[in-house]
This record gives sequence, structure tokens and C-alpha cells, in this order.
Amino acid sequence: MPDLLGLLSYGTFFLVFATIFALVVLGLNLQWGFTGLFNVGVAGFVAVGAYTSALITAPNYPDQIGGLGLPILLGWLGAMATSGIAAFIIGIAALRLRHDYLAIATFGVAVTLQLVALNAKGLTGGPFGLQFIPKPFADVITDSLAWNVTYLLITSALLGLSYVALERLVRSPWGRVLRAIREDETAAESLGKRAFRFRLQAFVVGCMLMGLGGALYAHFVGYIAPEDFLPILTFQLWTMLIVGGSGNNRGAILGALVVWALWTLSGNVLRELVPSEYQARAATLQVVLIGLLLMLILLLRPRGLLGEETVVSRHMRDETADTKKE
Amino acid sequence: MLQLVADGFIIGSVIALGAIGVTLVYSILRFANFAHGELLTWGAYLAWTALIGIVAVWGPAEPLGPFSFGWPLLVALAISAVATAALALLVDRLLFRQLRQHGNAITLIMASFGAALVLRNLLQFIYGSIPEYYSREIQVAIRLIPRDVLGGLRITPDQLFVLGLTAVSVVSLHGFLTRTTLGKAMRATSNNPQLARVTGIDVDQIIRATWIIGAVLATVAGVFSGLTVQLRPQLGLDLLLPLFAAAILGGIGSVYGAVVGGLIVGLAESLSVPLVGAEYRAATAFAVLIAILLIRPTGLFGERT
Amino acid sequence: MTALRVVELEAGYEPGLPIVRGASLAVEPNEIVALLGPNGAGKSTLIKAIVGLVPVSAGRVFLHDRDITGRAAHHMAHEGLGFVPQTENVFVNLSIEDNLDLAASILRVPKKQRLRDLYDLFPDLARQRRLLAGRLSGGQRQMLAVARALVGEPKVLLLDEPSAGLSPKLVGIVFEKLLDVRATGVTIVLVEQNVKAALAIADRGAVLVEGSTRIVGAARDLAGDPQVAALYLGQHQGGS
Repeated sequence: MPDLLGLLSYGTFFLVFATIFALVVLGLNLQWGFTGLFNVGVAGFVAVGAYTSALITAPNYPDQIGGLGLPILLGWLGAMATSGIAAFIIGIAALRLRHDYLAIATFGVAVTLQLVALNAKGLTGGPFGLQFIPKPFADVITDSLAWNVTYLLITSALLGLSYVALERLVRSPWGRVLRAIREDETAAESLGKRAFRFRLQAFVVGCMLMGLGGALYAHFVGYIAPEDFLPILTFQLWTMLIVGGSGNNRGAILGALVVWALWTLSGNVLRELVPSEYQARAATLQVVLIGLLLMLILLLRPRGLLGEETVVSRHMRDETADTKKE
Repeated sequence: MLQLVADGFIIGSVIALGAIGVTLVYSILRFANFAHGELLTWGAYLAWTALIGIVAVWGPAEPLGPFSFGWPLLVALAISAVATAALALLVDRLLFRQLRQHGNAITLIMASFGAALVLRNLLQFIYGSIPEYYSREIQVAIRLIPRDVLGGLRITPDQLFVLGLTAVSVVSLHGFLTRTTLGKAMRATSNNPQLARVTGIDVDQIIRATWIIGAVLATVAGVFSGLTVQLRPQLGLDLLLPLFAAAILGGIGSVYGAVVGGLIVGLAESLSVPLVGAEYRAATAFAVLIAILLIRPTGLFGERT
Repeated sequence: MTALRVVELEAGYEPGLPIVRGASLAVEPNEIVALLGPNGAGKSTLIKAIVGLVPVSAGRVFLHDRDITGRAAHHMAHEGLGFVPQTENVFVNLSIEDNLDLAASILRVPKKQRLRDLYDLFPDLARQRRLLAGRLSGGQRQMLAVARALVGEPKVLLLDEPSAGLSPKLVGIVFEKLLDVRATGVTIVLVEQNVKAALAIADRGAVLVEGSTRIVGAARDLAGDPQVAALYLGQHQGGS
């Protein structure tokens, strides 16, 4: 039954990507959904994770730094560390200021990292990127479907773990403070330096998840290049969060599934319908379609499919709103 | 050295004109518009289309004096400015206005990010991604300063045209904002929209004026970029970070700040080339941005955060 | 004819959550009426609703018997309503002259003459007309805010807590000036926390409680009314 196998293989492939996206979207949700931090450089932080893990784990690359050949687990931890450090630096510069500045600064990060990826050949391999990124258990599991399923188990486990951890975090006193900061600038002001620290923590943790997502992507595909981390990636991830419903971790995961499904589906449809010489152009239409989807959601259903669960903050918001208005 | 300074001023002119739009939209509509770069791209490409149309109807024209272009480009620029302003108003009507009524600033940024991708990809769909030029004429650069003085200075007539028209645009805008009722009303609205309303100012009208001015300057900047470099679908995207850096450096909301900021970012980009190499010149804007955020986030001429 | 008539007005920031709930008020021409009430009673919301800054969900507003309910805020100035917000009530990035000049251009009143009249009324402003409004002291800023609201020769001038943030001496000066303004034929409605100062210049007062007008009476009667005093004693703290 080759067809069923093919379908299974395709489904696994699809789900691995969906779970990796979901993991990144969870990080974004911690930043935006729960803390109100607007990160436009998601692709940059994902790239940091991907390149870091590749450089730590891959066999020795000729003519360049890295390729340490260390265990994959170390690579993943390293990915989280470097993206966390990058987030920390940017956070120090931009998190004290109005949200627009963070948006602009993170956009700058993504642009700059893209330049580094393209040009710092000694570190990133330049436009060709990095190859031979080791696949975990690939020496034990040689069948490609079995390996894909194994990898799916790993990504799903990490996603589940992150989900549970984040759910506990956002329901903890720490999470309540984050929401209070998001709901009300004045309340945040009164927290002063502490508000900044809370924002910074949420931003760093969120970016670490993005870095981990990048690493998981690198080790699944086996090679990475600058073009994997273009602004379109940031845009897809944001659409996932908005469609699913920001401020809701299950919404973040659902959004990742739905938007990734729509994306692959629309890609397949365009490939089927459009003659090959026009495919490059047709691909731009795909972005336009997803962009329109995002805008329609923003306009018609701003809370997304699931929307934020009502928590104490609803009550808080009413109170603070009233005192502000009188 | 002198050459780098001159190049910096030319790229700085383009950045300054774009940054004025960013800062105006920010001060009136209160959000960082990530789609502003696409107005530059659309302005440049619509001018190119208009140029082709004009040449198809009236035939090619002789270049004006020493410039690489003839009168059709100037007419095309004007047509494109109108069309780009219409585009900006359309996006506002369909998207931003709806969100303004119930959303907050952050949904506006998000939406502008989406609008940027849609506009860019739509443009790429229509025009393809092969670079285009307004003119294939090769221009001879004029030597203004001999080579033995600080490396000398050569400049093309087109580049002088860019500098001159930028100066004219900035001076006219200054006059508009300080002398006319609409200009003063724009400044008043940027300072305090609620007070503007109770003073009798129709804020919707101010918003329309803001988009029109921003789009017209974006068109000029886009055409300049196309004239001095080339037309590419990424033209606006690549300029977006410098635009933001310039607007923040100048103090967001300050038109004159945006001009000074644009020139400084342009100079920084140009002067950084011998230090870090041409491939990283775009990152200079990022360095400027981070530095200003750390040292003086209100910018050089900023009144408030 | 009443100068300003508010009938059973209901207004609030969010649909379904009215802060003003059935407020009614009739102001005679050339009167000064003080809107009083405990914190959070909805006084500011009421006058902001009258000038179109807060959405009205029910009731009507008449200016010189003309129905102006629900008109956009920027039409109100053209209709003849002047409004002085409590804070941020001048354009700090414009000079004194430009603050007034802009309002005159927008409202299409003969500029030279109107500004001369206003400078006569506010000689302090005339002396420093080129100064940026942001550089003004609290009292002068309040004067400019009042002058700005008067540019269009409004039929009714509404003020939101004109005494807020001013020293007692300045409150006296500003309120004296309001009497001068009234003498030019303008009807005045002011929201005030400073009950004593407000009732000293007002002809009548209206007390707002939980979004509706409860007591309306002559200013000198209200000043000694134990009922009014009781309303301020805090039993409505949480009412907002």
C-alpha cells in the first residue's frame, strides 16, 4: 500500500513542521499574548538557534569556525542560550521604551542577522548555509519514515513540555504580573524597574523557545541557509498566533496547525494550477493570500479562533479603565 | 573621503524623505508603519509604468540638459505621486481606519507588517523581480574637486538633482507646516488629538493629509533610489530599517529631526563601507538605532517619548 | 430658550457600561452653572459626552434649542460649544499666538479682531504671544486654554475642573476671569471638585451622583445644604 505509506510519510513531515512552528508560536505568545511585547524579529531569533546548534553539533566544517561535533542535546541547549543572550541584549536596549521601539529594534535584529548569515562566510557558510547537520538517532533508525516518526515524537514531547511549563508559568503570580503589565501601562509604570525586569524575563524566555524551534528545524532538515529565515517566516508565525488567538496557549498551537495547513495547501494548489514558468510569481500570491487572511482576522475576529481565556485580568481591566477615565 | 561624504548625502536624501513620512504617520496616527517602505517601492515602480506609458504615447524625449532623463520622468513622477497617495489612502481606508476605530496601536503595527508583505508580494507578482532602470543612459560624473584634495569628489548631474529636489521638498514642507492652517492643524493634532478635535479640527482630514504627504515624499524618495541605484521589489524593504533609524535618531514626530537623522544615517552607512565592507552597510542603520536607543531614546530633536 | 439643555443623557466609554445614566440639566443664557458631585460620579464624562468626546447611548443635547446630540467632536466647536479640558488643554508645541490663530482659522472667524478682543480680555497672553505654550506656567496656561476655547465666540463654554492643579490664589484669579468672560455674554458650565470656589461664582449648581443629576438649585442654597455635604462624605466611594 504505497499510497497510504506516502500519506503517512507526508503527514509526519507536515506534523513535524507544525509542532516546531507551534513551539515558536508558544514563545511568541508568551511575549505578545501574555506580556504585550511586539517582536518583529522572530525569524532572527529562530535563525540564531538554528545556526548555533548546527555549529555545535555538525562535523568539522572546512574553512570556517564551528562544526564542533558535540552531542545534539548540547546543540539544542546552546541554541536556547545564544538566542536568549541575543534577546537579553536587545531587551536591555528596547524594553524600557514604548512598544514601537521594540518592534523596530527586533526588526533590525532580523535584518542584521540576515546580513550576517549571508556574508559572514567564516561563521555561517554564506548564501549556501550549513550542511551535514546531524539528525538524532539517524545511525540507529535508518528507515526514513521511522526516523520521521521518531523526530515527530521528540518535537511533540518538547512541545507538550513547553505547553505545560508555560501554562503553569502564566497562571503563577509571575504570569499575573505579566498580564497586569500588558493591560495597563500605568500599573506597569508604578512597578518601575520591576516591570522592566518582568518584561525582560518574558522576552528572553520567549526567544529561547524560538531558538529551540530553530535548532529543531535545522536537525530535521539537515541543512540551513539564510533564505530559511526571511521576514516571511516572522509573518507566518505571527499569523499563526493571531489566527489561533493570542493570549491562549492552546490557540497558539491550533493556529500553527491551521495556518501551516493553509500554507501547504495553497502552495500545493498553486503548484498544480500554475505552469512551472510562472511558479516564482505565483508564490508571491501565496504570501498575498496569507496576508489577506491575517488582515481579515484582525478586522473581523481580532481575538482569533480561540481567543484569550477570561482570567482575573478582565476584572482588573475594568477597574483600571474606570479610574483612568474619571 | 569627500566622495564617501557626498555619497552619504545622496543616500541620506532618500532616507530623509522616507523618514519624514514615517515620522509624520507616527506622530499623527501613533504607530510605527512597517508598510512605509513599500510606498517607496510602489512610488518608484508606478513612476516607471507611467514613464513607459508616456514614452509609448509621445515617443522618447531628449534628456534634459546634463541629466540622464527627460521631461517624461518628471511627469511620471507626478503621476506616480498621485497614484501612490491614492494607494496609501486606500490601504488606510480598508485596513488602518477600521483598526483605529476599535484596535490599539499594536494591532496597527501588526497590520502594517502584514500590509507591507502583501504590497511587496503584489508588486513582485505584477512586475517580477528583475531589476529595472528609468534610463539606460550612462552618465559622466563631473569632477568637482580634484583627486589630490581628500581623495577628490565626482558627482553625476542626477545626484545633484536628487540633492536639490530634496532640499526643495524639505523647505516646502517646512513652509507648509509653519505657515498654512492645514500644516498648523497637523502639528496641533500630533501634539494633542483630543484637543484638536474640540478645537474644531477634523482629524480624519488631517489623517488623509498625512498619508498624502507621506506618500508623495515616499514617491520622490523611491524614484531617487531608482534613479541613483536601480528599481527592485526589495527597494523599500531594504530602506525600512534606515528610515526607522533616521526617524528615531531625529526624535520621532520631528520633521526636521527626520531630515537630519536621514542625512546622518546616510553618512554613517557610506562612511562605514571602508570599515566593515559594503555588504554590511545596511547593518550600520541598526548600529545607529541601538546606539540612539541606549543613549538618547527621545532622539536629537525629540520632545517626548 | 435655554442655552444648553441635556435630557436624560446616557453615555460611557464602552457599550453597555454607561457612566452617565440619565443626567438632565437646563442652563439659561448667560448663566454660570457648576456641576458638582463626588469623585467618580461621572461629571467629566457628562461634559465630554456633551462635547462629543464620549459616545452617547441615549438622551438628547440641545444647544440654543438645536439638537446636537451625537455630533462628532470637531463639529461642536463650529456649532458654538467651547470646551476646556482638564489637562493638556493647550497645544504645547505652538506659540500662544498660533494656538489662537489656528482656532480662528479653523472656525473661520475674523482673525485680527477676534484675537485683539481676546488679548484685551487676557492682557498677560498679549504680552508674550510668541512664547511656546509649553513654556507657560499653570495659571497662564489655563488662561490660554480658556482663550482658545473662546476664539469661535461660543454660545456655551464648558470647563472641566479649571481649578485642578492651581494654587488657591490662582484659582481666584482664573475664576474672576470667568466672571469677565460671562460679562461678554457667554454661558458657562464648569465641572468642579472645588465646591466652595465654584459655588462662589456660579448662579446655580447641579449635583451629579452615580451618573445622574440629583440636586439642582441656586448656588447660595447648595453651599449650605447638608444633603450636598453628605454626598461628599464618602458613601459613594466605589461608585465609579
